[in-house]
Amino acid sequence: MKAMYMWRTLLGWLLLIGPAFADDNAFFLESVEPILNQHCYECHSHTAGVMEGDLTLDWQSGWKTGGSRGTAIVPGDPEKSLLVKAVRHSDPELKMPEKKLSDQQIAILAQWVKNGAHDPRITKPASEPIADTDWWSLKPLVRPTVPGDGTGNPIDAFIHARLQQEGLAPSPEADRRTLIRRLTFDLHGLQPTVEETKAFMADTSPTAYESLVDRLLASPRYGERWARHWLDTVHYADSHGFEHDVFRPHAWRYRDYVIDRFNRDTPWPQFIREQLAADYFYPKSTDLTVALGFLGAGPYDQSAAATAPKSFEYLDRDDLVTQTMGAFASTTANCARCHTHKFDPITQADYFALQAVFAGIGKGDLSFDMDQSVATQRDHWKTIQAAAQQKNSKILLTPENLKLVAEWEQSRGPIPHWVPLQADVFLSTNGADLKRQPDGSILSTGPPPDQETIVVTAGTSLSTLTAVRLDLLTDDSLPHKGAGRAHNGNLHLTEFELRAFTADAAEGQVIPIRQATADFNQAGWTIQHAIDGNPKTAWGIYPKVGIGHHAVFELESPLIIEPGTRLVVTLKQLHGGAHIIGRFKLTATDAPNLNVIALPAEVEAVLDTPAATRTPEQQTQLASAVLQHHAEQELQKLPPYVQVYAAAAEAANERGMVKFSTPREIRLLVRGDLEKPRDVVGPGALTALSPLPARFDLPQSHAESARRAALADWLADPRNPLTWRSIANRVWHYHFGNGLCDTPNDFGRMGGTPSHPELLNWLASELRDGNGSLKHLHRLICNSKTYRQSSACGAPLMKRDPENRLLGRMSRQRLDADSFRDSVLLVGGQLDLTMGGPGVSHFTTSPGPQVTPVLHYDRYDLDSPGAHRRSIYRVVWRGIPDPLMDALDFPDLGLLAPTRGFSASPLQSLVLLNNRFVLHHAQKIAERAKAAETKIPDQIKQIVSWSWLREPTPDELEKMTQLADAHGLEAVGRLVLNSNEFLFVE
Amino acid sequence: MLNLPISRRELLTHSGGSFGAAVLASWLGQEVTAAPVSNLNGGLHHPAKAKRVIQLFMNGGASPMDTFDYKPELVRLHGQMLGPKEKPEGFTAAAGAVMKSPFEFAQHGETGRWVSTVFPHQAKIVDELAFLMAMTTKTNVHGPASYMMNTGFMLPGFPCMGAWISYALGNLADNLPTFVVLPDTRGLPYNQKGNFSCGFLPAKHQGTLVNATSKTPIPNLFADSQYAFAREKADKDTFALLQQLNRQHAAPRPDDTRLEARIAAGELAAKMQLSAPEAFDLTRESKETHTAYGLDQKVTEDFGRRALLARRLLERGTRFVQVWSGPQGAVNNWDNHGNIQTELPPIAANVDQPIAALFRDLKSRGLIEDTLVVWTTEFGRTPFAQGSLGRDHNRGTFVTWLAGAGVKAGASYGKSDELGYQTAEGKTYCYDLHATILHLLGIDHQRLTYRTAGIDRRLTDVHGHVVHEILA
Repeated sequence: MKAMYMWRTLLGWLLLIGPAFADDNAFFLESVEPILNQHCYECHSHTAGVMEGDLTLDWQSGWKTGGSRGTAIVPGDPEKSLLVKAVRHSDPELKMPEKKLSDQQIAILAQWVKNGAHDPRITKPASEPIADTDWWSLKPLVRPTVPGDGTGNPIDAFIHARLQQEGLAPSPEADRRTLIRRLTFDLHGLQPTVEETKAFMADTSPTAYESLVDRLLASPRYGERWARHWLDTVHYADSHGFEHDVFRPHAWRYRDYVIDRFNRDTPWPQFIREQLAADYFYPKSTDLTVALGFLGAGPYDQSAAATAPKSFEYLDRDDLVTQTMGAFASTTANCARCHTHKFDPITQADYFALQAVFAGIGKGDLSFDMDQSVATQRDHWKTIQAAAQQKNSKILLTPENLKLVAEWEQSRGPIPHWVPLQADVFLSTNGADLKRQPDGSILSTGPPPDQETIVVTAGTSLSTLTAVRLDLLTDDSLPHKGAGRAHNGNLHLTEFELRAFTADAAEGQVIPIRQATADFNQAGWTIQHAIDGNPKTAWGIYPKVGIGHHAVFELESPLIIEPGTRLVVTLKQLHGGAHIIGRFKLTATDAPNLNVIALPAEVEAVLDTPAATRTPEQQTQLASAVLQHHAEQELQKLPPYVQVYAAAAEAANERGMVKFSTPREIRLLVRGDLEKPRDVVGPGALTALSPLPARFDLPQSHAESARRAALADWLADPRNPLTWRSIANRVWHYHFGNGLCDTPNDFGRMGGTPSHPELLNWLASELRDGNGSLKHLHRLICNSKTYRQSSACGAPLMKRDPENRLLGRMSRQRLDADSFRDSVLLVGGQLDLTMGGPGVSHFTTSPGPQVTPVLHYDRYDLDSPGAHRRSIYRVVWRGIPDPLMDALDFPDLGLLAPTRGFSASPLQSLVLLNNRFVLHHAQKIAERAKAAETKIPDQIKQIVSWSWLREPTPDELEKMTQLADAHGLEAVGRLVLNSNEFLFVE
Repeated sequence: MLNLPISRRELLTHSGGSFGAAVLASWLGQEVTAAPVSNLNGGLHHPAKAKRVIQLFMNGGASPMDTFDYKPELVRLHGQMLGPKEKPEGFTAAAGAVMKSPFEFAQHGETGRWVSTVFPHQAKIVDELAFLMAMTTKTNVHGPASYMMNTGFMLPGFPCMGAWISYALGNLADNLPTFVVLPDTRGLPYNQKGNFSCGFLPAKHQGTLVNATSKTPIPNLFADSQYAFAREKADKDTFALLQQLNRQHAAPRPDDTRLEARIAAGELAAKMQLSAPEAFDLTRESKETHTAYGLDQKVTEDFGRRALLARRLLERGTRFVQVWSGPQGAVNNWDNHGNIQTELPPIAANVDQPIAALFRDLKSRGLIEDTLVVWTTEFGRTPFAQGSLGRDHNRGTFVTWLAGAGVKAGASYGKSDELGYQTAEGKTYCYDLHATILHLLGIDHQRLTYRTAGIDRRLTDVHGHVVHEILA
């Protein structure tokens, strides 16, 4: 009854105002809505997921409620409607959109409002839906029950149960020759030797196979093989890529770190934490700095970093988010950069929260000590140095430090007697007018040159010389009284050089300086810079201008002055800006056993005071001067820092020291557009994985590394459903050629679904609950019957499961580029197993048109030192691939490469047949065979056994002998290296 | 997606199994040309107008307002400081004063198209070309901008257009590479070989880099002469035995088509050895042709040789050829920061006559009927002076032209603003250019996809509109 009434009312109403209503509707839909849609929705709609100023314009209620400024539209009154004001740009505070609409569009909107703002959009539009979490990879990881009676390898239980369901049977075990070849390629990336194969085939122990697995896993070859997988996954290379594809000489330390970590079977959670935030988690283990090479693995656009820094940093962080979430969590978070992920529950804010994790890091070389004890000492002396500069008595006056000061004071030789050097010639090479003063000092006058080099030639009455002293003096004619001529009274002494000319000598002898000290050093411009040979560094005195200073240069060893010897002192002042010396004086001494420190006058005064009567202030002054010098000497004794290409809060790159005092503020960007920043987003990860935190609860002021550490903890959490499945699946992928989920970097809805979800969960649980040991997983897999099956494919399997998703047999795999190259070296008896260190370049270089060199892979000496080392140690130039490796599907490391491709093309065939590496080593193989045997058939038998691990059939032997007879044994070498029997692993 | 019994994705992301002939063919890059498309003139989704493409890439950012985009306003405003106050991202210096073109412009052809004096030869063929006058891009930096024009993305690792076309259409002939790149003899462009990468597509789709002046233009086509055991008869005999052994090896393994694919690839390699030397032999061209392409003059010799080589390859079945003008770096290219008046004419003269000759040659041979010619660069240059005589990078607006199969001769689309600083109308991104090129090849750019890392990747990302205004 009620419904009927309503119907009637509605119908009547429609009939009454129908035509006008229809016109209004049409006007809105045809004229008004397209304008709103095109120009306003981007920032004010549910579908865009953005409601700027809390205002939505995609439904009636949105503008009626209005945003933070109030109702947007007053129907009938355009003048009072904020929306109309905004589009007219009449209020300077409220101009929308940024690019003004056309007059016609503004008129349409005003007309619409004037007519009463009829708006048929009465239902709330759906927000851009966030995909739900009901998806296999996001479900909590629960250890499944193993099918069957609980005996045997659980992997087989899962696989066999499924095969049984499908009415299929597993394949029989492969023969031993196949098994050792399979295992050795899988775990070492190498062909087994004939001896290893024979020994295994003859091993009658019931655990022969298991022992082989153990032996292979214990070998360092294992880490070399599996590190390559990880380096692919994180797109590690030895050069930048992009326009300036510059070499990274220190990147290799990360490669060595990864090899080491695999060999040590570092627990996976620890591996995650080290790579993302070793500096946070292990501050005392400076050698772990190499792990941060993870953050520097990807490409770097040096050109954009210089000229377009904002977009560079944005895209660089994007790459880090992609890499981190792809590698550790098999998640494509980067797909949410422009909009909330279309398929997976990842919001755009989640994406920017991940960007915020990396918002405070710069890429470049990090300096560190490999040896922790050196690091400890360096820390100690740097603390002392800092304390000395700050006159921190708390640190300087500890008993331990006071002891050092007292020791110095006691060991101090007699105060040297400084004798003037009789300067008879003094020259300014840049045109200043140098004038001798009554006291024997020299004053620089006239217009000050930008740079300066002063050369003083002097004689001396001394018969031995142990040190030269340079006094910088004030003068009323100098800015701020000097002692420099720069506008602020400063100067920069770039280099101090001393030469001795014996009588009649045409050339002077350079006298080496052992140490230099100054009474005062400008921060960053210490006296050491005046003897470092570097024209870009210098000694300065700012801000202590207007008073005299001095520096003492002690000779390496006493200089015997023969009669007639002239001393030449060169004072280079190359900084520019008239940072040149205003007035100076040179003296020298013959005092033996010098251990002078150039001390400020006030400290000299302290030394004149008996120790017992010195005030604490005086003690501090003295300790500061002495300990500063002592610390410098101690620091100089330490071995230099080593470097790794990585990223952290501070890194050195082509722009100098990149240092983020605070991380960049990260804002959500509408459509990922830098020009459309919205709200600030703090560091965090994915919202959908409760109870894991979506945003990281960090104190207001936190170290930059704390952000990365929080993400590492988030990833390494036992409750994270993605991490454990991700690595378990990767391990499976490399063993079988296909993951249980066949998209190792994408566990989302666009990726594959696992063929055996329960097995994947079980493996992931084993890893999570078993201390994150990959070797444990390798053992389980390699020892399973599933892994040991033959790869022969019977008719039922071929028909029912051509892709081998059910694993009723082993999958045949083609050698990847690295395994091929390494095994060619092994077969020819050339493989060099030297581990670690800087990479080997398989090319020569010549200068390119700009900073990227030209690489000549075809001119490389294939027998040069290191040429026969494993491929993991080769320099991978990101933008200029090695043609041999390229042909065998070595990936483009501009992007992450979780899988290696397979291709067969005529060009690949040509490379394998004719590349000089292959031909060169075909010769090596022939040489090796000739050294081992005398008759051609026997030599051929050798070659076949090295490469195929078997005897040739009589037919094969006959044909190969014919080939060798006609064209040489090398032709047989070339033949086997190109054969599918060599290129594929059963 | 494709009219095949199994999806493209299955075909290309699963390497372990067996799908019979289709997969075998896919690994050889041929299947798509075979079945579904013969009635589409070789197209994939609709009838194709073009069967092959030659792209001429002016490396460094060819200046529009000194070549094809006549801007009389620059004369009026010359010397005024109208540029951005702050250095925009990717400019290498702050913008200087407005600078008029130092070159004279005149109208040419029936279409009356304005062309400056740096292109006297192209001026004579303007009626045959279709211009995109408001091309724009997202960055002012060479590396990412070159990636954009080649791959549609600003980051490395994505497949370039040539690779996508190889993936989509495969080869026209099986004795030559599908996708050939002819870089400037003086060096590689920005991004080194990244601009020709096949990214995540199978390795066989990457560009074959051909060194036009080398004795071995296709690397590894034959063994080096120092390896006598791999030359001539020895090579033939070894190859014959290899194929025999590989067949014996494959016989009990019929499930694995990859083995067969390698054997078939070997046969194609042998065919290539037979055909390629002839294709690369420019002495087979007449003296008139050599002269027309400028092989007899130093200034045009390098680009002319490569343009002529490109024509020979296209004629013999190569699908996509990219010819580069200018290496990376500060000189010998289109990156004229220092002095437009002295830096632009030499590089323009390198290409101008050979390009016009190439076009006429394609026409006289009837090849232009189904060959698409594309002239482009990675971005434009500022109407404001850099220093006082050069021009800086400008992503705002630049020019591309197309000609040949399916292109409306004499058409023009888009306009830059009065200064030539930004686009004014008809803004065209690389996505639109790529969509248009694919369209002419009979490919719907939205349906040419490859799934990797969770996304069905496209050459055109999520963008792209075919520019119908310039299509015949």
